[in-house]
Amino acid sequence: MNYFKIWLAGARYSLVRTMMFRGDFFIWSLVELLWMGVNLLLVAVIYQHTPSIAGWTQYQMVMLVGTGMLVQRLLMGFFWTNLFELGRNVRSGAFDFFLSQPGHPLFMASTRKLDPDGLANSFVALGVVIFAANKLNLHPSVLDMIGYTLVIFAGLAIHYSILVLTMSLSFWLTSTSGIEGTYFALTEFSRLPKGAFHGLARLVFVWILPLVVVSNTPAEILFSGFKLSWALGLVGIAIIWLSVAIFVFNRGLKRYASASS
Amino acid sequence: MIAVFSKYKQAFILGLQSNLVYRWNFLARGLFSLLHLAAAFILWGAIFTVKPTIGGFNLAQTITYFVTLIILQFFIGAFNEDYQISEEIRNGLINQFLLKPINYYLYRFSVFVAARLVSGALVLIPLILISPWIGSYLVFPHDMWRLLCAIPAMAMAAIIQFSIAYCFGMLSFWFLEIQGFVILSMAVETALGGQAFPLDLMPKAIFNIAQYLPFFYQMYFPAAIITGRIGPELITQGFMIQAFWVVVLLCTSQLLWVRGLKRHTAVGG
Repeated sequence: MNYFKIWLAGARYSLVRTMMFRGDFFIWSLVELLWMGVNLLLVAVIYQHTPSIAGWTQYQMVMLVGTGMLVQRLLMGFFWTNLFELGRNVRSGAFDFFLSQPGHPLFMASTRKLDPDGLANSFVALGVVIFAANKLNLHPSVLDMIGYTLVIFAGLAIHYSILVLTMSLSFWLTSTSGIEGTYFALTEFSRLPKGAFHGLARLVFVWILPLVVVSNTPAEILFSGFKLSWALGLVGIAIIWLSVAIFVFNRGLKRYASASS
Repeated sequence: MIAVFSKYKQAFILGLQSNLVYRWNFLARGLFSLLHLAAAFILWGAIFTVKPTIGGFNLAQTITYFVTLIILQFFIGAFNEDYQISEEIRNGLINQFLLKPINYYLYRFSVFVAARLVSGALVLIPLILISPWIGSYLVFPHDMWRLLCAIPAMAMAAIIQFSIAYCFGMLSFWFLEIQGFVILSMAVETALGGQAFPLDLMPKAIFNIAQYLPFFYQMYFPAAIITGRIGPELITQGFMIQAFWVVVLLCTSQLLWVRGLKRHTAVGG
């Protein structure tokens, strides 16, 4: 409850800030909208030439891309700016600020700001998913929708953990500028169907880094109905990743030596 | 003339030295591009299992196109020049150029050329390392004239890329933050510059429109010449449109610089 109150205060502050810089909000919303457009354009162009990719039809692929974008927009909206600044703050010593706050430093450092543009665009991504579901003539049951929501949040937890692990490197390395690029390079794989991965790629991107499963599982729940084993599997993976991320962050925290005298 | 040249030669040497400091960053970026290449490989590999050719090209030719794009990006692409210029304007570092007989555009361009030589050389390292695996997928046409045409196309593409970045940097005279604009244009450039997919796969009507936009000449045009995706007719026409955009962007760069300086306040000594 206490944490929720702290989060709410941060959210309120972020909204007030957004209202102050409306032009910025508009530009960044447009940025995310256009990037989603690029991904959908790629799908549209490819399906001009082929009826299916690894067994996925055009609108199934749109749904996959939409789902991948939904998870990513939620990450952008809730956590991105905070974690992106984590690296810089650790280097500059501004991280001290979070240590003196009433809560676990990871919680304080990852929830300070909200990005309303990312959240606004998560509705656009959801719109893409609904559009694809309509085109596929899907009628998901309430259970399917609950399952979809559950695995989306499990996916969000996995993406969050990967980002925390990446940014925690700044406790050990002196310069981590550009390291966030790793995350973007990896998310490219989350927009591909699982069946396209073979051999080593399958081992790395499907099993070791669960990025492909994160986007494929929710989409598959909508096509072929909710399966408890899939949902529980993904929630389990999310818990493991989150635990590892918190563990590594805490280890890093012990190394943090501030920057001032 | 020689004096003018030696002025910018110094800027070039300075650029070489300062960019060599960032060699690990460029190498890391090169490794990220390999991830991008792996994603392209997986996606297009799956697409080509259904059909042997798409748009008249097979899997190897398509992979060759993406590898060429990566090399071009490190040799002629603008990285964070817009951001550097923006910082120099915001921090007042451009004030020193206002008093010296140095053209700011030419100075930045010399540094850009030096930076691209460094990053271009560095991207070859990861590519050579993975060549045993991708070597069999690299199929370039054997026409000598294509290579000869590629040189001016790449040079003009570099000017277009740099000038667009320069113009975005110039926006700092008017706006506090330009990062939003930069990433916005990056999305357009990714789609219409041919980085997401070879532009010739787009429907004919859209391809014809894209041909008249500057983005077409940033990456796709030189890459398509080298990999044989476009024929002699389109290349001849392309050179004219590319030259047109070079002139337009050079004029815009100069205009924004002159207009921007009128708004600029140089504070301090």
